[in-house]
Amino acid sequence: MMRTRRWFVTAAVTASLALATAGCGLGSDETATPDGKIPAGELKGEISFATLALKPTFDEYINGLIKKFEADHPGTKINWIDLPFAGAQEKITTDAQAGTLPDVVNLNPNFAQKLEKQGVFFDLEANAGDVKPAYVPGAWDAFKVPGQPGGYALPWYLTSEVTMVNKDLYAKAGFDPAKPPATIDEALDQAKKIAEVSKGAYYGVHPALENRFITDLAKLGVPLLNADQSAWTFNTDAAVQYVTKLRDLYQGKAIAADWLTQNHSKATEAYSAGQTALFPSGPNFLKVVKQNAPAVAANTVVGPQLSGPTGVTNMSVMGLLVPKAGKNPRLALEFAKFVTNAENQLAFAKIVTILPSTTSSLSDPYFTDISDGTPESLARKLSAAQLAKAQNLTPVQFDDRTKAAVIGKIQLAVKGDLDPKAALDEAVAEANKLLAK
Amino acid sequence: MTGRRWYVPWLFLTPALALAALVMWGPLANTAVLAFTDARALGGGRFNGVANFARIGTDADFWQALGNTVTYMLVVVPALVLLPLLLAMLVYGKLPGIGAFRALFYTPVVASMVVVGLIFSWVLRSDGVVNAVLLRLKVVAEPLPFLTDSTLLLFSCMLVTIWKGLGYYMVIYLAALANVPGDVLEAATVDGAGPVRRFWSVTVPLVRPTMVLVGTLSAISAAKIFAEIYIMSDGSGGPGGEAKSMVFYIREVGLGVDGEIGYASALSLVLLAGTLAFSALSLKLRRRNEEGAHA
Repeated sequence: MMRTRRWFVTAAVTASLALATAGCGLGSDETATPDGKIPAGELKGEISFATLALKPTFDEYINGLIKKFEADHPGTKINWIDLPFAGAQEKITTDAQAGTLPDVVNLNPNFAQKLEKQGVFFDLEANAGDVKPAYVPGAWDAFKVPGQPGGYALPWYLTSEVTMVNKDLYAKAGFDPAKPPATIDEALDQAKKIAEVSKGAYYGVHPALENRFITDLAKLGVPLLNADQSAWTFNTDAAVQYVTKLRDLYQGKAIAADWLTQNHSKATEAYSAGQTALFPSGPNFLKVVKQNAPAVAANTVVGPQLSGPTGVTNMSVMGLLVPKAGKNPRLALEFAKFVTNAENQLAFAKIVTILPSTTSSLSDPYFTDISDGTPESLARKLSAAQLAKAQNLTPVQFDDRTKAAVIGKIQLAVKGDLDPKAALDEAVAEANKLLAK
Repeated sequence: MTGRRWYVPWLFLTPALALAALVMWGPLANTAVLAFTDARALGGGRFNGVANFARIGTDADFWQALGNTVTYMLVVVPALVLLPLLLAMLVYGKLPGIGAFRALFYTPVVASMVVVGLIFSWVLRSDGVVNAVLLRLKVVAEPLPFLTDSTLLLFSCMLVTIWKGLGYYMVIYLAALANVPGDVLEAATVDGAGPVRRFWSVTVPLVRPTMVLVGTLSAISAAKIFAEIYIMSDGSGGPGGEAKSMVFYIREVGLGVDGEIGYASALSLVLLAGTLAFSALSLKLRRRNEEGAHA
């Protein structure tokens, strides 16, 4: 009896350990052929399509795309899933570990690159090279892994930030709404004046450090990384001056105290609530403001993106990727091509102020026509014109942990708990520790 | 047992054991294995001995998170042992409509933590109700930085934890109070004991095992505190991340494409060991109490 019990306990422990170790590692249920090519086959079956924060605003457009594709390819079914932006990286990573990524995934280069490096996605240069010339080269290249051949996404939509201005609040401080600030320095100087006039009732800008800090440094000409991208280098004098300026604004109550730790979504809310006079953001957020605060949207004018001495502007890229673990990669690729083709991207750009990543769509007069006089059309024109000089200024190495470490130090500096120079030195040291791992 | 096979009870237990193995012991064993590896979110997984545990010793962020978690426990646990007991005493009487009162006190328990966190964020922000009242009463000259000062943020979160836990532990105490013999209280009253004396000399000794239980449960909850801090700090852990708790830090280390799963697992084991040690201590205390009561 005793021996039987011991046997039972040993078996139970072994089983649980086996169960435990089975949980380790990446899912390996790949459908790629040995040469990394997507197997040929009939366009039939079911796939899942994951987007980032497009529901519920774009339900009609996405569902329309899906219906059309399904009608063109009888026997296919596309299941649309939308992931909220917050937490999407965690969900995608978990799915990648488990080998359960959706068949077509909408990601930006920062989300995608680490997974691309690990070989999670199909190389689309090898599998969809025929459509590559249709896309803006910079957008296609955004999904390349430095030092690694191939390209891993079909670029989808692009955005290039503009500056939204609440005419009334801006004018009350004596500024001309027809001449919004052109540079970061100018915007911060104006923010000081706006706060002086408003006496705390509203402010000039929301810092949204998490989203703006690193791109602002890049625009100010601060070298973020060294030449071989092996170390962070943004603790320069220009960066110290910038952080000092933010600190002075915060301590002078030209930035609301609670905004120190808030991100872009709270900045959007603040602008929609009439709490900020200036809102640098993607022109697509005009629609969000319009939905949440029509009166503020009606009172909005737009200007070009804030820049620095270099004149460089920032561009954000979205792409569609096809994971190797998908069950039907042929159908997934064809659907991704369909979503990102020139015709469908132009249609998407016509319902929201984004820019298509297909060169032929960009040459459409729609992107230069401002005859209706709306802020949307001007934002679209400004945004499209900026694209020529725009770059994706956020290095792919600026991942979530690096961002948390860097922004944490900057928050302390802005709050006045840490000297700006010391904060930047510590931020660089922490970021380099993470980069070395 | 005569005539029955030894394995029959095990057969009945098998479904429950299988479920426990799948959802509890399996992941736990997985964590224990991973803690001794350099596993990352993608790749890694080589055995690296006790390197992760050695790293904990020099990890300043870990010590800060541990300090915050211990502070949390030191404030929240005594408050959640005493306040719900006082509340239970207040609503224990058989007055008309007292059931509605009890239900009202229990409402925060069933409210979503996200909603509660957001409400308290609005209430405690610089231009929130609390600061407006304090300014109006001239108690303060400037709004208090409840959400942007790491220490105040931590205490604001504790307030939320206590507020939300009151009703839950009150219900446990109500059950314990129902077991306090009425004749003992009557005897104490006859002997001239006032309400305070009756509370300390009769009620408290009789509900002490429940107090130990509440202390253990609230300590375990406090050890794994996360949502309050996450929501009220906009996911930042306070300026500079200085209000991070242990679970907040473990999540930060282990999540994302760069997540250090091995190190996060080692940190989780340390948290588990600490919680188990505390629970064992409480259990011992409870047994001693029970033995004392029966002696």
